[in-house]
Amino acid sequence: MSDPLDQKLEESLGALGASPDATPALGPELEREMAELAPVKTRVPARQLAGILALSLLYATGVVALIGLRRDLVAMPRWHFVSFAALWLVSFVAIGWLVLVPARGQMMPRARLSAVVAGCAGVLLIGGGLLLPRSAPGLSTVYRPTVSEVIVHAGCFPWGLLGSVLPMLLATMALRGSVPVGSRLTAAALGASGGALGGLVLQFHCPITERFHVGLVHGGLVIVAALVAVLAAQAGASNRGARTGGGQG
Amino acid sequence: MATEAELMARYCDGDASAFRELHARVAPRIVGYLARMSGDRALAEDLAQQTFLKVHRARSAYVRGADPVPWMFAIAHRTFLDEVRRRKRSRVEVAKSEHGVPEQPAAIDGAPADAAPAGADPELVQAALAALDQLPPAQREAVILTKLSGKSIAEAAAITGASPGAVKLRAHRGYLALRKALAALAGGSTP
Repeated sequence: MSDPLDQKLEESLGALGASPDATPALGPELEREMAELAPVKTRVPARQLAGILALSLLYATGVVALIGLRRDLVAMPRWHFVSFAALWLVSFVAIGWLVLVPARGQMMPRARLSAVVAGCAGVLLIGGGLLLPRSAPGLSTVYRPTVSEVIVHAGCFPWGLLGSVLPMLLATMALRGSVPVGSRLTAAALGASGGALGGLVLQFHCPITERFHVGLVHGGLVIVAALVAVLAAQAGASNRGARTGGGQG
Repeated sequence: MATEAELMARYCDGDASAFRELHARVAPRIVGYLARMSGDRALAEDLAQQTFLKVHRARSAYVRGADPVPWMFAIAHRTFLDEVRRRKRSRVEVAKSEHGVPEQPAAIDGAPADAAPAGADPELVQAALAALDQLPPAQREAVILTKLSGKSIAEAAAITGASPGAVKLRAHRGYLALRKALAALAGGSTP
């Protein structure tokens, strides 16, 4: 910064930045709303997270109760089953925490970080399913790993999506007004978090242990739920844009 | 003096005077940012009004203890982008620099707001302003936020939704472009 030109440029930019800007008027609409100003309950992210986690886990339990436990549950290798269930649960909680609880002193979500962690969780869950298959002989369903078989046996997928709906909706409501920018990344992370809960539901429901099924159908739920959430966010923003002339973050 | 976080908390508790003080503190900075981005003072004031209406309607999203200013700037940024898109759809340009002289921002006393304060060369300031308007939008917003509005790279990244690395790079490239543009006028040399 010792170059005279740099000094001049810094001075000029500083002068532009220091330009006196008069306080603008509030606008008639805001003045009207200010006349009826009432106290509002502000967001408490940790409390919201705790509530959403509790409700979502109750909901997931209800979905599993509705669609039934897998028949090979007790015969599955315990460490494998518990490790994978824990991985689904940790992914759901960790991504949810990153999205809902901002960094200290901030009020906007950590959109980029949560999306990166969601991507890593997706890779881990898909990779884990593909590389570490375990089954309970005689009870689990294992089929020939062909594309058509994977597609035919993807019937559990809608149940996984169903399991992911409530946390996505609750988190979306909790973040209302907090995401002026980075809404696609935030939506992707929210979807992935919900998808991880859906995967946990399938972990308790689906007796198919074929590696491509567990990896691509169960693990892929994280990616698909993220995409669904991004599309929903985009559609919501387009609708708002059509009404107000706005667009998408 | 109360911080912006304290004012925002009191505003959320229903204290209108806290809102007015917060508005008085933040609105000029937001208008300045929007005016630099759009090159149109009247539009900037209109967008600032929209920004504060959105802030008001979304105030329940506030997290007590948090600095509300980056969030307000992010809403302003979003509002500006929405306006650009809306005008693109209706084929009206927001930034006018390519088609004419940008409108001069004016202070409340009617003096040009971009008048250079003592110590800065007015010609260079105007040249910097003109060069700033010629930057690609992403570089312009990075330079405005980091050099003019005094935001850190992390804050500018949070406001624009870009990654800190991208903001740093854009600000650097924008700065180099400004430097190059000013070198001709100042008779200086670029490295």
